[in-house]
Amino acid sequence: MNCIIIIEMGTDAVKVFAFDLSGNLISSSKGHYPTFHEQPDHSEQDPEQMFITMLYILKNLLIEKIYPKKYTVTCICFGSSMHSLLAVDKEGIPLGNAITWADNRGKKEAADLKQSSLGEEIYRATGTPIHPMSSLIKIAWMKNHDPEKFRLAKKFMPIKTYIIQQLTGACVIDYSIASATGLMNIHNLTWDEAALEFAGITPEELPDLHPVFYSGVTLKKEYQRVLKLSPTVKILIGSSDGCLATLGAGVWENSMATITIEDSGAFRIIGDKIIEDPKQQIFNYLLTEKHIITGGPTSNGGVIFNWFAKQFGDFTEAFDIDQSMEMLIEEAAGVEVGSGGLIFLPFLHGERAPIWNPNSRGCYFGVNIRHERKHFIRATIEGILYEMYSIGRTLEPHRHIETLSINGSFASIPFCAQIIADLFNKPVSTISHADSIGMGAFLLSATEMGIYPSLEQASKTVTMHQTYLPNAENHQVYAQYFKVFESLITKVADEFDAISDLQQRYSQ
Amino acid sequence: MHFPHILEFTHKKNNTIQLNSFNSNVTDCICMYYILEGKFSWMIDLQQHTLYPGDFAVVLPGQRIGGENGILNIGALFGLKISAEDCGKILLGKWSGLTKKEKLSINQILLVNKQQLVLKLKEAQVLMHNLQLELQNEEVGFYTRVNQLLDELFVLVSRQLIRQNSSRRDFPQTFLKLEQTLRQNLAHQWTVEEMAALIGMGTTAFTEKVKNYSGFSPLNYLINIRITEATKLLKKNEVNVTDIALSTGFYSSQHFSTTFKKLTGYTPSEFRKK
Repeated sequence: MNCIIIIEMGTDAVKVFAFDLSGNLISSSKGHYPTFHEQPDHSEQDPEQMFITMLYILKNLLIEKIYPKKYTVTCICFGSSMHSLLAVDKEGIPLGNAITWADNRGKKEAADLKQSSLGEEIYRATGTPIHPMSSLIKIAWMKNHDPEKFRLAKKFMPIKTYIIQQLTGACVIDYSIASATGLMNIHNLTWDEAALEFAGITPEELPDLHPVFYSGVTLKKEYQRVLKLSPTVKILIGSSDGCLATLGAGVWENSMATITIEDSGAFRIIGDKIIEDPKQQIFNYLLTEKHIITGGPTSNGGVIFNWFAKQFGDFTEAFDIDQSMEMLIEEAAGVEVGSGGLIFLPFLHGERAPIWNPNSRGCYFGVNIRHERKHFIRATIEGILYEMYSIGRTLEPHRHIETLSINGSFASIPFCAQIIADLFNKPVSTISHADSIGMGAFLLSATEMGIYPSLEQASKTVTMHQTYLPNAENHQVYAQYFKVFESLITKVADEFDAISDLQQRYSQ
Repeated sequence: MHFPHILEFTHKKNNTIQLNSFNSNVTDCICMYYILEGKFSWMIDLQQHTLYPGDFAVVLPGQRIGGENGILNIGALFGLKISAEDCGKILLGKWSGLTKKEKLSINQILLVNKQQLVLKLKEAQVLMHNLQLELQNEEVGFYTRVNQLLDELFVLVSRQLIRQNSSRRDFPQTFLKLEQTLRQNLAHQWTVEEMAALIGMGTTAFTEKVKNYSGFSPLNYLINIRITEATKLLKKNEVNVTDIALSTGFYSSQHFSTTFKKLTGYTPSEFRKK
């Protein structure tokens, strides 16, 4: 029996999935790697550790779970989180750690570029909002603040390119990951001249661009041997987590959108055209040149509720954080819709879409003498979801959306799913498989192998699991609170800058 | 002198404020203070701390301590100074009756937490009081008793640090700290017991928790860090393979070679040449 292996280099962990050719999950395994924060705005990972972790998890999955069941691997496909950046020297050796999407060191470079007409031009060409997350800004930062490393760097690549290069020797990047670097012109599918000039690099310093279906690389012999893989196993370079999650969410219809909320989150739609946004609020990433994923990301998803649980959760009875969060959700469920008028701005990590302001911060607003602990719990959850709603609304002028497909550990909590349905006043469905990124990568591989005639057909095989219908009355209440939420954000814009500045100066 | 390692034991009542009564100094021994009365404002390693009755402070060799503005506030406290061995690296000397492993764990726990060594520790009062009595009265068995009380004090402080660490509340953070500690001393032959003790868990719970969180057993996680670091050194081409093996915690270059090849398909020297 044949099977397909998916390797997903996620933010905190590598996940490896094995699917049979009908899309049934045979087995999966996960290996965690740490993120280091040497300085407040920095967020880095060790590329060698990521590679070794991936190799270990992959090898054990194959040898312990896949080969004993008599499966033969025919295809390996890669997915990964977006926006990571690694600089390597002329020998291909990493110059320090990889910088993750969550790194905000390029705040100033981003703010300056965003205000210029060049910034506008680059955004229009690349589809990536001007923000410290992008490779464009990270490289520019390095040029300005770490000239020695910048001088030694011969290639700049995302972590996925590094992993594939270790395994195959080829230095390649797929359109999806490339379209999220802020360096690729998504209209003509080449590295963008203006963006590269701003970053101070040439196309030779970047990996070779290829479609997500590209399979012109082969595993090095040593890895074939140690992983017991045939030389003919197909290596598909694959796509990004965001694009794959959208494909795996089964939202191919024009009237559908998908919401993912794990630690961070995003609201996404799929279409055949790039959506121009004069406000520069939304991204356009390429699944293929004809399939554009458009949407907005939030940095403040489940990670914020996790923060709340750590600070205020009950650990006298709870064994760990997950149990403590479950208890909090039970408490929140007992509070009225709208948390008795307590509103929470969840920007503890600054925010990306729709305000794209790394200086924004969290806030509880409207506290009155009758509010109890439980109101704060519910307000925290509602605040995270109001933010997702506000991202969804930026897509409204461009697309009429009727139903939503949700995934991710936070969005899939039934309590959250119902609030999302009520907030958007649209039916919300969960999908029947647990991991939409893994599923998306399977569908991509299976389409390439000819099992499905097209990505459209592949995506239609995704079935919905459970549907939450909106409650019109609740929607009315949420809609009124949301107005306050939204106007609050614009009103405290100056104070966001002031407080973030003070925090940088005085807090330890 | 019965106890060369006890440099000082004081039970101090301070009734007046005097200039230069507690100037800031870098200590070369372990200083411990238990507050009995009053309110003390101290600077420990440039961080301001306010200590109240029931608070216990530990200052390790190389750390700086002094009163704010060089003043010792009005109040009462126990103070204890114990010498460390090997230039301050070994905190529990030969006097301690703890096992070698236990000493090492306590050493690690104190060092890892040296930025937060002010604890609420009411239980320490009885120990300090008994210590005072033993030292004063010198009754039969006092030599053993004093050292036992010191051991008990170190165990108590370590356990409290672990509890405060709240690994249940924030396992990812705790785990990251563990990883950093392992990387700092990769050549050491870590055991699961030591790693578990470092973050204050029992071995079984620790193994379970690490597996669940990281996907690895603790020892496999450690081996992967070893290989990661070895990979970097191999790529640098400056250090020979045997030195890499030993500095990253493998028993021998043979052990390194076998482990490395099993995972990567390359022997270390093949990997270097590629």
